[in-house]
Amino acid sequence: MVANPILYIALPLFTAFLVPLLAKLWKPLVRIVPGLVLAYLAIMSVVLMQQVSPEKPIIAMIAGWKAPWGINLVFTSFSGFIASLISILAFFIWLYSFGFKKVEFDDAQKYFILFMLLTAGSIGVVLTGDIFNMFVFIEITSLSAYALTAFYKGRDGAEAAFKFLLIGSFSSIMLLLGIAILYTYTGTLNMAHLALLMPQVPMHAKITSFLLFFVALGIEAEMFPLNGWAPDAYSQAPGPIAASFAGILAKAGIYALIRVSYTIFDLGDHGGFELLLVMGLITMVVSELVAMRQENLRRMLAYSSMGQMGLIMIAFGLGTKEGIYAGLFIMFNHAVIKSLLFLASAYLVYYTSRKKISDLDGFGKLLPLTSLLFGLGAFAIVGLPPFSGFWSKLSLLIATANSHMEFVLATVLAVSVIEIIYYFRVLGRLYFRKAHKEIKVRKPTWNSVVTMIVLALVIIAVGVHPDFITGLLHNAATDLADKADYIQKIIPDLFSQTLN
Amino acid sequence: MKKLVIISLLLVLGYSLMNTFSDIEFGKKREGISSYFLEHSPDDLQVANTVTAIVVSFRGFDTLGEVTVLFLAATAMGTILFRRRSKHTGLNPQRKSPQASRIVQAAGKLLFPAIMILGAYVFIHGHLTPGGGFQGGAIIATGFLLLLISYRQFKVEHKYVTWIESLAGLSFVTIGLLGMILGPHNSFLENFLNVGSLNDLLSGGVIALVYIAVGFKVGAELTGILDTLINIRETGDID
Repeated sequence: MVANPILYIALPLFTAFLVPLLAKLWKPLVRIVPGLVLAYLAIMSVVLMQQVSPEKPIIAMIAGWKAPWGINLVFTSFSGFIASLISILAFFIWLYSFGFKKVEFDDAQKYFILFMLLTAGSIGVVLTGDIFNMFVFIEITSLSAYALTAFYKGRDGAEAAFKFLLIGSFSSIMLLLGIAILYTYTGTLNMAHLALLMPQVPMHAKITSFLLFFVALGIEAEMFPLNGWAPDAYSQAPGPIAASFAGILAKAGIYALIRVSYTIFDLGDHGGFELLLVMGLITMVVSELVAMRQENLRRMLAYSSMGQMGLIMIAFGLGTKEGIYAGLFIMFNHAVIKSLLFLASAYLVYYTSRKKISDLDGFGKLLPLTSLLFGLGAFAIVGLPPFSGFWSKLSLLIATANSHMEFVLATVLAVSVIEIIYYFRVLGRLYFRKAHKEIKVRKPTWNSVVTMIVLALVIIAVGVHPDFITGLLHNAATDLADKADYIQKIIPDLFSQTLN
Repeated sequence: MKKLVIISLLLVLGYSLMNTFSDIEFGKKREGISSYFLEHSPDDLQVANTVTAIVVSFRGFDTLGEVTVLFLAATAMGTILFRRRSKHTGLNPQRKSPQASRIVQAAGKLLFPAIMILGAYVFIHGHLTPGGGFQGGAIIATGFLLLLISYRQFKVEHKYVTWIESLAGLSFVTIGLLGMILGPHNSFLENFLNVGSLNDLLSGGVIALVYIAVGFKVGAELTGILDTLINIRETGDID
């Protein structure tokens, strides 16, 4: 099999342009072909992950120009891990939504093309080694996300999408300004080359540019107070898209934030990490407190998602290798568990227009399997053993304790209690209330049941035997922590010139 | 109070941006990767227009991304610029604006072929003269815009737009994939054709081909976008 990081981008784009033509031959091809592509990418991720190691990243140059002159894609243990996570998750979300919009052909075509481009854009953000190319991929990702948010034609959807569009455009401008500043001072766009030349950028330009990046990518990574778009977008988009916002879009955003603060800028000792830590803390506390007051199930999950993003920022804000490890573990868990929660909740609120938590009374009997899987996800996300969420939270607590941040540790624990309260409130309604009379229930289709069960099995398997992924996480953390090594692997000639 | 906070935040942002940008001297020759581009695009690629060499070869991947962004914008616009269908009010789905005057109509008819030729010229000669796929495509779209505003009954057939869009996008990616198979470094979007000699029409290898595909794609997409916008504005409806 041909395994090349370029295919993560080239294949979905090729398919996106091909699908409208294929549809003229046979309409179901519109849903089958994207799935085949995503399946191929998922398998390719497994193959590439076996080839890559912190010592040997896979670098694909484009148009035959070596870095820093051309654009390159860099599949390292760190970026490869996130890209694989995204591509495998995307395949399962496709499987879940295979029968989506059976009747309306145009909608189905739009949905599958946009979903595939959302995935390709996010993987592009993660794999690219060039800062301007990252901007282009963020554009691709955000535009597909806007369109998918407004997928259900209606006032609320259009409002959510428009809000998202405005905030997202603001983010793009900030990002472009930040890139422009870096380019004028260094004359390069390659991330490794930028990192190498960063010491010669004057401090005030560095800080301005860093803050522009921080705000722009903070919007993508759902950082408070820049996450105003998220609750509306999550609650208005179709169920599987809400899952992919949590599992794919937000992951690409946080990856970009981390790559910029860890690799490109050297502000770690000048308060860069502390900024990440403090913003993470605020994001987590505020989001979880707001989540507790939500009446709408989707919005509650959205705020909980932001809380988790805050947790990830805290972990990376510690700036230690243990912190990176914990952050990656939470990213993995959040992608899997939150997707399961969103996918299961799509069936729980299928026929209710307001998606209210109070409409969920007695669903434990009406939809036993879906409710069970939702409950499993809820147990896992708050961090109860023996599920995978437990290990990631534990590793974060150990990392904070080792960095002597007792206040952070205490806050994380306190917030976990809040999480338990609002998730158990939902579970209480599911299992300990009598169902409303004459309630309409949508039975899950076989493919969505398979998807949810696979995700649940992953949660249990990693929970019982975390060694399944700890090796990958350690490699990824080693890879991210060693910045000089990253520069040396990508631009060996320029790196050795600077040393001499 | 809220306004005060916003104004002071904007002031801080403005000051720090001014502080940073005022340091940058205008028109100064800068070190960096740009000198490499200036050297290598005439020598290695035989492309007279360095900007085109940068856009299509050195940063061709970005261009593919931007073409996709345009494709997405055209797709997304239909969903975001949504208005409730006006079935109940019984509005006439025909556009409501008055017919343009005969002068405009006659001139439009006369100018349209010339605009098409100019657009095609700009994107075919993208590697030789200023301009290229994006500019040529935009010129072509203005030709259709002229017809749209001068003839009320003029309709863009979305079927053809989709075909052109898809085929042009496919050829861009296919050229890229062929580079992976035939190119000397086996990398995506790499040149695999004879580069010819500087200033010839048939020079630059795949660069000219990519720009022609981009020209068709941008032309089709912008035309589609214009048609959608005009229909929303005039009938409150999108098809």
